[in-house]
Order: sequence, then structure tokens, then C-alpha cells
Amino acid sequence: MRSIQRKLPLFVTALLLAVAVVQLTVGYVEVRQASRKLADQRLPLATKVLADLFQIGQGRARITALAKNPAIVAFLRSGGRTGREAALVAMRQVTSDTATNAGLELRDFGGKLLLRTGRFTTADSVLVSPSTDSARYGPFMRHDTTLFLAVAVAVSAAPGAAEGSGGIVQQVARVAFNAQTPKALTGLAGGDISLFVGNASGDPWTDFGSLVPAPPQRVLTSRVPILYERGGEMKRAASAPVPGTPWMVVAEMPSRVVIAPARTYLFTMAPIAALIAIIGVLAAWWGSRRLTTPLVGVTRAAEAIASGDLEHRVPAGGDDELGRLARSFNTMADQVSRSHHHLETQVAQRTKALEGTNAELESFSYSVSHDLRAPLRAIHGFSRILLEDHNAKLEPEAQRLLGVIDQNTRRMGQLIDDLLAFSRLGRTDLSTGPVDMKELAQTVADEIQRTDNGRQGSLEIRIDPLPPARGDRGLLRQVMSNLLQNAAKFTRDHPSARIEVGSRADSGQTVYFVKDNGAGFDARYADKLFGVFQRLHSTEQFDGTGVGLAIVKRIVQRHGGRVWAEGAVNQGATFFFTLPGEER
Amino acid sequence: MQSHGVDILLVEDNANDAELTLRALKQRNLANQVFVCHDGAEALDFFANGEGPVPKVVLLDLKLPKVDGLEVLRRLKQDNRTKTIPVVVLTSSREEPDIERAYALGANSYIVKPVDFEAFARAVSDVGLYWLLLNHPPQ
Repeated sequence: MRSIQRKLPLFVTALLLAVAVVQLTVGYVEVRQASRKLADQRLPLATKVLADLFQIGQGRARITALAKNPAIVAFLRSGGRTGREAALVAMRQVTSDTATNAGLELRDFGGKLLLRTGRFTTADSVLVSPSTDSARYGPFMRHDTTLFLAVAVAVSAAPGAAEGSGGIVQQVARVAFNAQTPKALTGLAGGDISLFVGNASGDPWTDFGSLVPAPPQRVLTSRVPILYERGGEMKRAASAPVPGTPWMVVAEMPSRVVIAPARTYLFTMAPIAALIAIIGVLAAWWGSRRLTTPLVGVTRAAEAIASGDLEHRVPAGGDDELGRLARSFNTMADQVSRSHHHLETQVAQRTKALEGTNAELESFSYSVSHDLRAPLRAIHGFSRILLEDHNAKLEPEAQRLLGVIDQNTRRMGQLIDDLLAFSRLGRTDLSTGPVDMKELAQTVADEIQRTDNGRQGSLEIRIDPLPPARGDRGLLRQVMSNLLQNAAKFTRDHPSARIEVGSRADSGQTVYFVKDNGAGFDARYADKLFGVFQRLHSTEQFDGTGVGLAIVKRIVQRHGGRVWAEGAVNQGATFFFTLPGEER
Repeated sequence: MQSHGVDILLVEDNANDAELTLRALKQRNLANQVFVCHDGAEALDFFANGEGPVPKVVLLDLKLPKVDGLEVLRRLKQDNRTKTIPVVVLTSSREEPDIERAYALGANSYIVKPVDFEAFARAVSDVGLYWLLLNHPPQ
């Protein structure tokens, strides 16, 4: 149903929902972006802190100190040939007091192993080959589940000594895993950040609790935090190289943690938005009811008045616009009701007056019908009796005069009949129905062809297909009959008379016409054709009383149509009339 | 009131019309037993006591002084003694209401008097011939 009462709350609901959805979406996106930005600031910071931690590792200091031990320097500068025991003592001091159970190696610059202590051996090759005196870290190494790393420092040849003397002090240490370390690091970095370290070139990698798969290269090469998948979960990760080592650190946090604030926002705000929407809808429903209920009242009243209940009124409302509307409506209804009553009274009075006039007219025409005929009949009758019974005594001139009386009384009789027929037209009711105009014209035409006497030439009556009309069949037949008889009459002297009945559509109406090629008429007098007793030809030329066309006009007018004529002297005449169509 | 029988009762107030009617009847030798009433009251009196002669046909004008033709017709057709007498309305009125009322009251014919005398004479004599010679009323 097209009702404002329902449309308004629906509209407000839609509006509120749209606002809520837009607000939630925009808020969610904003919060998510802010959280991501925050994460992107925190992750590189964490990598930097971890990288810095490695810088200050103790391993480097210890090995540097060892490389300055005179026994070891002497042993290496001798190419491993002298001072072996003294070097061993120095090395053992280191291996026994370090918790990492380091293995220590002394090698020449060619990589050949000269001396070794400690528990760990990894490979024969030189793991780190520093060219300077400062200590260097090598890459992480993996052996089964154990992670090693090597740090080495060079002992240069003595000044002026031969090339090839001197060597490398290298420490190989196991990286101690502790299940607590990752948590401790996470706590250190804050929040949900996990930290990893490993070789820049790939495996092995560790979180200090265990070995972990190396992050993909794109994480290691990216300068900004990026997303990647680890263990079936999306992570946001940042990487940084550890200066002076072949290592990199990676700080990462789960993507869901990054966007958690946005989700929290959504889950907090959505119910609030829903609540606001519900309250809004209820308010709109209440408001629209309050607004439309008086309107519905006015509408009902208007409908009631339109359907005839003029006494229907709207209950008076408050002082607002709706109340004023109701009061104005009631005032208007009062006025309508008053003028309606007034009109009804007037119509009743007029109808009564009209009925009186009509009755008078009826009795007048009755009197004319009855009283004018009787004397005429007497005049005619007695002049005929005079002619019949006293013919012998009458002179020829007297007989001729009686003949004139005879003619004129007949004509007078015809005039009275036509006049009565004409006046009767205004009083009888139309009994309207569909009328087949083509069939009607054909019937009349056949009749005229049958009774067409006194014609010199031929008479052709052509009837085009005619659309049906709506009207009183008897009266329309009289229209057709009068027009065709007229046409027949005025073509009587034509050697090949032609009458055409046709029609055309003109602005929604049907225009019927009867056209002949007869005597025609002077177009200047066209408007006089349809007057009662108006004739454009003398009785000697064409007989008739001058009522036929007046009857046509009255009948057509009573059907709501128009009638007019076109023609010229000796060029024929065309009579047009319009009638309402069948569909009305 | 005539002592001998009456064939035609002519109810006509117009003396000229009565004369013309009688002349038309006379030409067919139908005028021997015609009784003329000049108004409606006279016509009703003619039938008043129920002992008078019964005409074979009543030629009744409608516009009559005192009691009009339709009233005469109504009374005749209401009365059991006169309702079988044929009544031919012979009038100048061509008005549809008159024709309808006349037939509703039981008129046997309705003839409009032509203005043309020949036509009038023919109509009257035809009516006379039909009702006097051709028609068989109940006994």
C-alpha cells in the first residue's frame, strides 16, 4: 500500500542503517590503519633493539683478549712449531670457565688446524677468516638440533716476520636454547612481538627456544614491514641486519593481533549502532503515526464527503498545523455542505419551474395539434363539398379559387404536422444505444431509391463504411432520412445524380457527411439552412416546409453533436454532422 | 333517445367535423342509424340507464366539453354492460401520450383525422364499413 505511515519509518530505517554501516566501515578502516601504523613503528624498533644486543656480546671481547695472550701469539707466529704447551694452557683457561663449553681452535691463515681444545668440533675448514685484529662472527651453523656459531680473530705476523706466520684464533660455541628465552624476548619487545635471528643467507634460524624455519627472502630484503605466512598464520614482520655479522634479526607479530583493535572497535560499536538504529526506527514509527493519523482522518473524511456523506467531519486536533488542517477542513466541509444544500434547493426549484413550463408547452402543442387541424379540415372539407356537390353552378374562376383553397389547406396541414414533429423532438427522451450507421444509411438509401419519383436522370447513392455511433436509433434514422431525402430532392433535375454518405475522424469525434451534386446553395446563407421554416428555394422550385434540416439540427444537438453545411449554387451541397463515438 | 336501433354513436363536439363525418358515412350508405352526442356527458347519458340501444361502434373524439373522451372511454370499458362495445377513437391528436392512454383504457382503434378531406372521408367510411359489416361482436 502506498502509505506515508509505512514509508516514513522504512525510509528512516534505511537511512539509519546506511549511516551505521558507513560509520562502522570508516571507523573500522581507520582503526585498522592506525593499528597497522603503530605495529609498523614497533616492529623495526624491536629488530634494532635485538641487533644492538648482539653488538655488545661478551664473546667478541673474550676472543679478542685471548688473541693478545703472548703464549698464543708466540705459538701462531711460530707457525705452530714452538710454545704449544703454553698456548694449550691459555686456551684451556678459556674453555673451562665459559658456560658455553666453547671449543677453541688455532689455525694458520691457510686454514690448517694447529691446536684445539674444548668439546666441539664442527668442520675442518676455516669458518671465519678475519683479515684484521678485531673479532668477527661467522654464520650460524647447525648440527642436528644444535646451533653453533663461530667467532674468530686474526693474530698478525710479527713485524718484519716472514709471510705466512701468524694465524687465527677461532671459538666455536653452542647457542644455548632456553624455552623461556622467546617469552622473555617477547616481554622485552612488548606485546605480541616475536623475535628471531638467523643467517642473512637463510637457514638456520632460531627464536632462542628452538630452531625455526628461515623467513622467506622477501622478508629479509624488505625495508618496510610486510605480511607473510608462518605456520598457517599471517604475520606482519620487519627485518634488520646485525651490523658486523652475517646475521639478520626479524621481529614479527600475528596479523590478527595487529588488527585486533579494529575488531574490538567493530564488536563494540556494532551493537551501539544497532541500538541507535532501533531507537531511531521506533521514533520514526511513532513520529509518522503521530503525523499521519490526523492526515488519515482528514483523508477518510474527504473520501466520505466525495462519496456523498456531506456531514462527515474530522475530530478537532491540537493547536499545531495538523489541528489547523482539521479545523480548516471542517470549515470547508461546512461550506461545501451549505452550498450543496443551497444548490439542491435551487435545482429542485428550477426543476419544478421547468416541469411547469414543459407541461404548459405540452398542453400548448396538444391544443395546436387538435385545434388548428379541426378548422383546416372544415375549410378543406367544405370547399371540396362545394366542388363536388355544386360543381355545375360554379364558374371556372370559382372552381380555380376553390382549388387554391384546397392546395393551401393541404400545405397548412403539412406545416402543422412538421411543426408538431419538431416541437415533440425537444420533449421526448433519448433512448441511446449503439447504432450501426452504415446499415442505417443503407436502409434509408434503399427506401429513397424505391420511392424516388419524378426524376429525369439516374440516381446513384454510394455509402462508405461508417463507424458506429451511440445514440437514439429512431432519431438518427430521421437525421439520415431527412438529409438523404433533401439530397435526392435537390438532385432531381440532374441528369446523373450522385449522393455520397461518408465519414472522417476529426479530433476524437466522428464527422459523418452526406454529399450531393445537386442544386447546392448560396454559401452566404449557409447558417439559415437549419432554421425552422427557413428555405433558400421557392416552393415552386422544390417543395417542402423548411422543417427537415431544423429537425436534423435539433436531433444532432440533443446527441451532443454539431451540424453544418458547405456548398455553392449548382455545385452540390455537403451536410456534416458529428456524433459521439460508440466507445463512450 | 331513439326508439329504433343505433349502429353508430358519434361523439363529436365540432359540428363541422360531425357534418363531414356524416357525409362520408352517407356516401357509403352507413348513415341511417347514427346518433350524435355533442359532449362527453351526453355520451355517458346515452348509456346511463342500460336500457337504451347498443351501438355497433362508438366513434369517439378525445377533446370534448364537460367530460373528455378518455374519461368516456374509461367509463365505458369499466362498465360490464358496455365494455364489449367497440370504441374507435377518432381525433385530431397525434400525440403519443393520447394514443398510449387510449389503448391502455381499452380503445379498439385509434384514428387520426386527416386534414385532407378525401383522406378523412376514406378513413371514416372504412372505419364504418369495417365495424358495421365485417366485425362480429359477441352476442
